[in-house]
Amino acid sequence: MHAVFRPPVNWRHRRFRYRLVVWRCQNCGAVHHYATSICRRCRSNRVAEDKLPDRARLITYTVVKNPPVAFEKQAPYIVGLVEFEDGTRLVAGITDCDLEELKPGIELERVVRKIAEDGESGLIVYGYKFRPAITRGRYTPGG
Amino acid sequence: MRKVYIVGASLLKVDEQWGQSIDSLVTQVVDGLAEVRPWKLDSIYVANALGEILQNQANLGAIVAEDVGLTGVPALRVEAGGASGAAALLSGYQAILSGLADTVLVIGVEKLSDATPEESVFLPSLSERYDLVGFQGVTEAALAAMMYRMYLERYELPQEMVAQFPVLMHEHASKAPHAQYQFKTTLENVLSSPVVSPPLRRLETTAPADGAAAVILCSSDALPTIQHEQVVELAGAASSTDIVFPFDREDPLKLSAAARAFYEALARPGLSREQVKVLEIHDSYSILANLILESIGYSAEGASGVDAKNGMFDYGGKVVINTFGGLKARGHPLGATGVYQAAEIFLQLTGRAGACQVDGVKYGAMISLSGLGSSAYALVMKEG
Repeated sequence: MHAVFRPPVNWRHRRFRYRLVVWRCQNCGAVHHYATSICRRCRSNRVAEDKLPDRARLITYTVVKNPPVAFEKQAPYIVGLVEFEDGTRLVAGITDCDLEELKPGIELERVVRKIAEDGESGLIVYGYKFRPAITRGRYTPGG
Repeated sequence: MRKVYIVGASLLKVDEQWGQSIDSLVTQVVDGLAEVRPWKLDSIYVANALGEILQNQANLGAIVAEDVGLTGVPALRVEAGGASGAAALLSGYQAILSGLADTVLVIGVEKLSDATPEESVFLPSLSERYDLVGFQGVTEAALAAMMYRMYLERYELPQEMVAQFPVLMHEHASKAPHAQYQFKTTLENVLSSPVVSPPLRRLETTAPADGAAAVILCSSDALPTIQHEQVVELAGAASSTDIVFPFDREDPLKLSAAARAFYEALARPGLSREQVKVLEIHDSYSILANLILESIGYSAEGASGVDAKNGMFDYGGKVVINTFGGLKARGHPLGATGVYQAAEIFLQLTGRAGACQVDGVKYGAMISLSGLGSSAYALVMKEG
């Protein structure tokens, strides 16, 4: 199977993957994880760069027991659906915790973690994951 | 008014066909259409989802045309993930209704058994937004599992209300010679099979499958000139799209694209849902059976499990779903699945469904999805 992770792609997405920089519609508020000049929801052309908050809430979660390519060594691992204060939702790896600690509604904070390695000599890619909030702070936009 | 007919259908047993290539599957399935030869074909549509990844083979239009000795006929490969087959059928339907084609061959072919176990997990997630989902190691099964959990929690249901659908599918497949898994199973077996992503169990998903199916479409103008033994009218076909990331939709448990496609397809011949007695649905995960049946209105929200338990979707019920076992038990050779669904409805409407026959059926319909409902296709067929 061809490479899963490619250097230009990794470079292109760096700000979204490391800092959750997004493009937000100034008309309806919809969030895009890619640079765009057309809102995917309302087709407005008023889309501007923004950043998702560093905190979110857990909606639901599951465990990946049968891993996909490049995640073979990590299984089983927890993944969850998280929601930010503005209603934006993402799925992401949930880290630094046991399954028993997770309950819908708990507060999470964003961390940057290694996502996967592409074989012996391919890229090591990093990106956002979430963990139960342990640092001080409040659940506020930009928090 | 110009109409579209299906004058022949052929399908191979869904299986792990280690010795067969895309080319050999295609030639075998087209051999099964011998009764409608000779053809003067205007177009070929080849449905396939993963050929360029698993067999290093793209450009399947020209390749398949050559495989079956029809070089010269315009041929195009159609990819729409798990709905590729239905998308190819819709393309053929549109070509005929446009007046540009009178006869169209639609072939669905897929060989998934060439994949490693990790590829088999990874490849279905190609239909989701990779940068949001696949990149995070979130599989399509994990997304389905989270929809499943949300469903059980919202309606406060026991898992049985979802997990019984695979039992019904295996029951139907036990009488279907072309089904991949012809064994019956029990709710206890389903709920004790290995966990894929909780609450989703192994027996609530599909497994690598190889297969090919084909149908021949023709226009009402061409019908009298074509040698055929059976005929079914392709009375309506439609498709729709939805927000790709399921949890970004207004309601993740509502498959709006499926509902729009289904009702648009029914509206073309002016049919109502109640007239459809055979329905093929896209149950690549058990939970999708519940969500489809509720989204298209056969069951109230949260009630499809109870309805299934009361026999509504089995022989003798309001509408029989997946009469040959559906994706779960007939098997899910990804890009070919939609063509299997169409071929199966053709068998039902021509009275050749054998032990799976539904008596007195005049109308049948199918719903095919890519991803978790981001594209939906619906076709409605009428007794010829």
